Order: sequence, then C-alpha cells, then structure tokens
Amino acid sequence: MNYVFKFPDIGEGLEEGKIIEWYVEKGQSISSGDALVKMETDKVVTDIPSPKSGIIVQRFGAIGDTVKVGNALVEIETEAGEATMASASEPAKANSTEAIDEKGFGVVGTIEVAGDGAYLPSSNEGIAIEQIVQTKSQKVLATPVARAMAKERGIDINLVTGTGPAGRVTSKDIEKHRSGSEAVGLVQTPKMQDAAPQTEHEFVPLTQIRKTIAKNMLRSKQNAAHMSVMDEIEVSELVTTRARINAKLQGTKLSYLPFIIKAISIALKKHPVLNAELDFDNERIIYKKSINIGLAMDTDDGLVVPVVRDADRKSLIQLADEIALFADKAKSRKLSLDDMRDGTFTITSYGSIGGYFAVPVINYPQSAIFGVGRISDKPVIKDNAVVPGKVMPISMSVDHRIVDGGEVARFLNFVLEMLAEPMLLLAYEGGER
Amino acid sequence: MFNEETLNKYKPIDNKIFSLIDDEGKPLDKKWQPSLSKDAIIKAYKDLLFERTADYMAISYQRQGRMFTYPPNLGQEAIHIASGMVLKNEDWLVPAFRELGAWLAKGVSLKEIFLYFKGNEDGSRFQAANRMLPVSVPIASQLVHAAGIGYAMNYKQEKAAVFAYVGDGGTSEGDFHEALNFAAVWNAPVVFIVQNNQFAISVPLRMQTKSINLAVKGVAYDVPSIVVDGNDLFAMYEVLEYARNHAISGKGPMLIEAKTFRVGAHTTSDDPTKYRTKEEEEAWAIKDPLKRLKGYIAHNKLHDFANENALIAEFKKKIDAEFEAAEQHGDYKLDDVFGYMYEELPSELKRQKNALENYYQNSGGAK
Repeated sequence: MNYVFKFPDIGEGLEEGKIIEWYVEKGQSISSGDALVKMETDKVVTDIPSPKSGIIVQRFGAIGDTVKVGNALVEIETEAGEATMASASEPAKANSTEAIDEKGFGVVGTIEVAGDGAYLPSSNEGIAIEQIVQTKSQKVLATPVARAMAKERGIDINLVTGTGPAGRVTSKDIEKHRSGSEAVGLVQTPKMQDAAPQTEHEFVPLTQIRKTIAKNMLRSKQNAAHMSVMDEIEVSELVTTRARINAKLQGTKLSYLPFIIKAISIALKKHPVLNAELDFDNERIIYKKSINIGLAMDTDDGLVVPVVRDADRKSLIQLADEIALFADKAKSRKLSLDDMRDGTFTITSYGSIGGYFAVPVINYPQSAIFGVGRISDKPVIKDNAVVPGKVMPISMSVDHRIVDGGEVARFLNFVLEMLAEPMLLLAYEGGER
Repeated sequence: MFNEETLNKYKPIDNKIFSLIDDEGKPLDKKWQPSLSKDAIIKAYKDLLFERTADYMAISYQRQGRMFTYPPNLGQEAIHIASGMVLKNEDWLVPAFRELGAWLAKGVSLKEIFLYFKGNEDGSRFQAANRMLPVSVPIASQLVHAAGIGYAMNYKQEKAAVFAYVGDGGTSEGDFHEALNFAAVWNAPVVFIVQNNQFAISVPLRMQTKSINLAVKGVAYDVPSIVVDGNDLFAMYEVLEYARNHAISGKGPMLIEAKTFRVGAHTTSDDPTKYRTKEEEEAWAIKDPLKRLKGYIAHNKLHDFANENALIAEFKKKIDAEFEAAEQHGDYKLDDVFGYMYEELPSELKRQKNALENYYQNSGGAK
C-alpha cells in the first residue's frame, strides 16, 4: 500500500511553499518523524517530517520548485500494518472531489483541499457553503456590477465561484469565469475570430521581502535629503595590483570589492559623519563606533543587504571570503537577521550587472551609500597624450541634512586617491577609529 | 524555605530576582536545602523531560500536516512542572495556552490537547481534569474569569486557590489590570503567574513596557508581587507553594513574574529568527531549566541518567499512542457547532446548518 504525502498547510492559511532542500532519496527507508524536505513558506522556513514509516517510492518537485498546499511531496511504500490507516483518509477526499465535479461547476482546479481529507481548511469554508447555496438555487451573493456583467455576457451567475467577502461574486470572478468556462466548454464558445484577446491584469500579493524593500526605500526617500555626486577614476594600477595579488593567492581570489571596502573603511575614519546617522527627534547626530559595511546584493527574490562587521579590521582576504559566504547565503536564502543588522554604510556594486552611473538610494537611517559602475576601457589623458585607460565610474548619495557637499567631495577625493594608487591602502591602513 | 521575610527582600521596585540554583544547578547559598524529597525531585525531572519530548513530537505532528497549529513550551517547563507540584485537586487552573506540564499534572490527557490543536472542541472537554478552564487564546481574557472564580470561592467559603497564567504581552492588556484590581479588592485567592518569556510574539519586552519588570505592576494594586527565576524549578516551587498558602489563608492574590525564555517559536506559524538574535538565544540556553535541574541532580548524585534514552523512547511511544487516539477520535458533531448558544436556532443559523448538512451528505464525507 502506497501513501502519498501531500504538502500540508503548516501555517494557518498557507497556499504554497518552495522546496529548499531534499533530505531523502528515492528508495530510501525512513521512519515516521524523519525530515523529508526543507520548505520555505510565507511564514517560516522549516523541515517537513514524514507522517509514515516506509520506503520513498517517488519524490515530487526539484529544489526551487513551488508546491501548492495539497499537492504531493513524496510517495511512501508503507509497512503492511500502516496500510489501512493510509487509505482511511483517502476515499473521503476522492469522494468530495467527485461530488463537486459531477455538478459541473468546473471549479475543481481552484479548490485546494488540505493534505488530509478529513478536514477542510477554514479559508475554503466560504466556498463550500457557496456551492450548496447554488444547488438550492437561492440567490447568490454578488456585487451589482458582477450581476450586470453576467447578464450581459449570458453567464449563469449561480455557476460562478465567488472570491469576495463571504463568497460574494465580484466582477473579477465573472471575468475569470468567462475565460475558465470557455476552456471547459460550459457556455457557448464564441467563434475563434470573435474571441479577441482580453487584457487581464495579474494580481500578485507582495512577498515579505518585497514589502520590506518597498517600506525601506520609501522611508529613505521621504526622510533623507538625497544629494548625489558622480565621478570617474583611472584604475589601471588597481587592475594590475589585483592581478598580481591573485596570482600569488591560493584559494581565495580577490574581486575589486574588497579594495573598495578597504578604501572606504579607511576614509570613514577621517570622515565620521558619513558613518553616522541623524537623530532628528532628539536633535543630535549619532556617530557609529563600528564600521560595518552593508553590501547590496541582487537575488531572485529581491534586494538583500548583508553586513560585513568591523570591515576596517579585516584583511583583503578576510573581506573576500566574507563576501563569498554572503553571496552563497543570499543565493540559498540562508541570510539571518544577524547577517543583515547593524550596518553603518552601504556599498552597491551595480556595475557587476550593468550600468555606468546611478543615483543610489541611501540605506536609511545611514547617511551615505557608495555605488560602483562597471570598469571600462576608455581613452584617458596622461602626460598630455591620449592613452588607453581602465576607468571606474562611481556614484554616491549622501543625506544632505548632515553631510555637506564639501565633506563628501573630500571623502570621495580620498577614496579615489587610494583606488587609483592602491599602495596607499598600506600607508593609511590601521589606526584609531 | 520561602517566607514573608524572603518576600520582603525581593521588592519588585528593587528589580531583584529570586533564584535558588545557579546555571549549573548548584545552590547559590551553600546552606540551602530543597524542601522537596529526592523522589519528588526525580519525578519533577522526568515530568519536565516528558513535557519537552511531547513538545518536540507535537511540533513534528504539526509539520506533518496532522495538527493545525501548536504553541511550543520549550524552555518554560520549570514553571509548569513546579505549578503541577503545588496545584491541588480542589484548586482551579485557569490556563492561557502555554502551560502543558501544569495541565498534564491537573489530569488533562495529551489526547485532549492534541484534539484541541487539531481544531476539535472535544479537546476542551477534559475528562479527568477537575476544575480547569479551557485553553484561552484571546490574550489575558482568562484573568478576569480567574478573579471571578476566586470571588466565588470566597463566597462559597472554599479553602482553595486559583492558578491563572498569562504572558508578558498580556500584562499590557486592560484585562490584566482589571483582574488584579478586582482580585485585590475582593481578596480573591488568585495566584497570577506571568510567564515573561521576553517576547509578545515578535514584540520584545523593551517595546512592550517601560516598567522595570512586570511584577512591579502589582504594587499599585497592593498585590504582593515578586520576580522569580522561571528557569529554576526549586525557586518556582517555593514561591508558588508560598503563594498558594497566602491565597488560601485569606490574604488575597499574589503576582509572580516568572522570568524565562521561549526557546521555540510563538506557534508553528512563527519564525523567531526574523526578530531575535543568535546571541540572545545562546545567552538563554545556558539557563535552560532542564539542564539546570539535571545539574542539581547529578551534583548531588540523586539519580543515574544511564537509562535516559530508553526513558525517552518510552515517552515517545506513549505520546504517539495518545496522538493516534486523537486521530481516531472522530470529527466533532455538527450539532455541537450550533447546539449551545440558542434554545431555538435563528433562521440564518438554521440555513447554515442545513447547508452544511447537505454539503457533508453530498460530499460523502464524515460527520
């Protein structure tokens, strides 16, 4: 007897989850309670244990796949004694699906029954009641607009699944029903040439990370007085230095980012107001004792900013290793709150993807953000002659409420001087904060 | 032994915490001897281990999709086990939702608890637990019931106490203050136990209150109050025992702030890594109640832990059997959903009941 384990609603109203890691292989023997898979949901990232003992016959979904609640995760060949229990809950669900199916509502696909057929999740109760109302041909709940639309299009509103409050049918449901019923041929299908493509908007709820990004960006733009400055710097020397260092290094290879972090950490000690925040409510400036550099990283889900702590006390190699670790964690969504808090200054190396100049948004309440564009081969003038050069574009935004133009220019001059002549990093390294 | 003199030494306004053993389980005062027998201490240890095992199992059942939700007790068990040791059959237990060990001591079965978190109302119908209210999820609402029960006990001249639980966040609710005030004014024999686990879901204590601690909130109502190390079973036992005697001797309520830490998530729908740090978790891990009690026992050579794995295996078997019993229990009757509010159902509820009956008939499902 095989038992199909379906992704349960583990978070009081979840719709789906994403597979982060599989712990079991096909053919593997497991005990009930053993972790099967790590799933990410809107609420938690968690291990899902098996309710049964037995052998994994099949795994559904690969890492990164999104699984809807109620869809299969694994098929388990259970031990003989458990077979009856596994089948006990199955028919209940099969029947309930059939019953709805027979009535021809054509909505089976949209009903997601939780893993165990014995109970319906609360969020579906409204839908269930609505269908009974339909069988009794009572008047369904609907908005006036939806009724008018249904009449106009010749749709029996009793056959439409309402998704509004208390199962109320809305104009959106009529719109959806139209395209849905065409597919199953419940209402007369219009001739092909008549079926003009309908523009439809897709409504996608914000993910937690998107909500956070949106809130932070808005807060920054509404509170900080952004002022930006851009410049170019010839970095042939840095390109050569980096290549020479990398040729000697075992394992770790340096990108340009560790050099930039180093130069900025040194310069921040001389210009502490760029490593500070304005506490307007208490009419004071808070100077940060640590130099913790946030690194803006692009991920599939959105922007994340892990923080390199005490960047001024770390070697180029340490910085490179830490960047690599963060990049890894960001990719596998393993960054924790600890990895992302207490930043005092942020660097965005947007050039690694593309773009020359940019106007970066300050990671509020920090007072400055430093952006690096892509290094390009460009003609430069040296000793009155045009020669090929390596040019790094930089863009920096500061909070003009506490950072004056002169201050940011002096800071920038110092940083760019060190990037143009990386030997200077040795000269200025160390010292008091 | 904890007495009035000790109570006076731990005035909430001085923000001192009553504690008897250190993080390793060694007595803070070398002359101190526990008032509990060796057997009682070993039993407390096993009960604590059982509560913890049941918790881990419950979380696993929930993740398997076999239970809707669950609020883990991890890290707060000493408060529950000490409560269970003090609670008498004639005492009332007014729970919040995170006191598993105390409920079990009162006679609630794990099957009932599992039923409750599977959404079955039968889980609130305790077969063997005398004088216990159902689990109360609406924060602090249960405390006014506790004050009322205490008042009724005085009226009926019963010599027993009410043990009422709430969390740190609950002390910001109006109900908490009303209950304290009424219990004080009426001299109601209520022991209020605040499980201060540092977080009201994700809101840390420092964002919850400006008070130096939570016990200090009882001072204004003239309720004797104290902050206790909630991860120290001995300290919790002595203070609770004192509070019960205080209550039943007609002196009225007491407020105990049990300082602890919620090691797990608020419920299975919560992810604490989003709002607290590893450092904080590590700092509290040192104070783990099971570890400290075990330290005391080992230090005094009261017990040999050699068979612990066998003991846990035995617990797991028992817990599994309780859970399977809950799964076999059958669904809650539809009649019961509608049955208790009105003598005659209003038409709208009648319509809903009919609709549901039809639905279950058509779907061929249970009920």
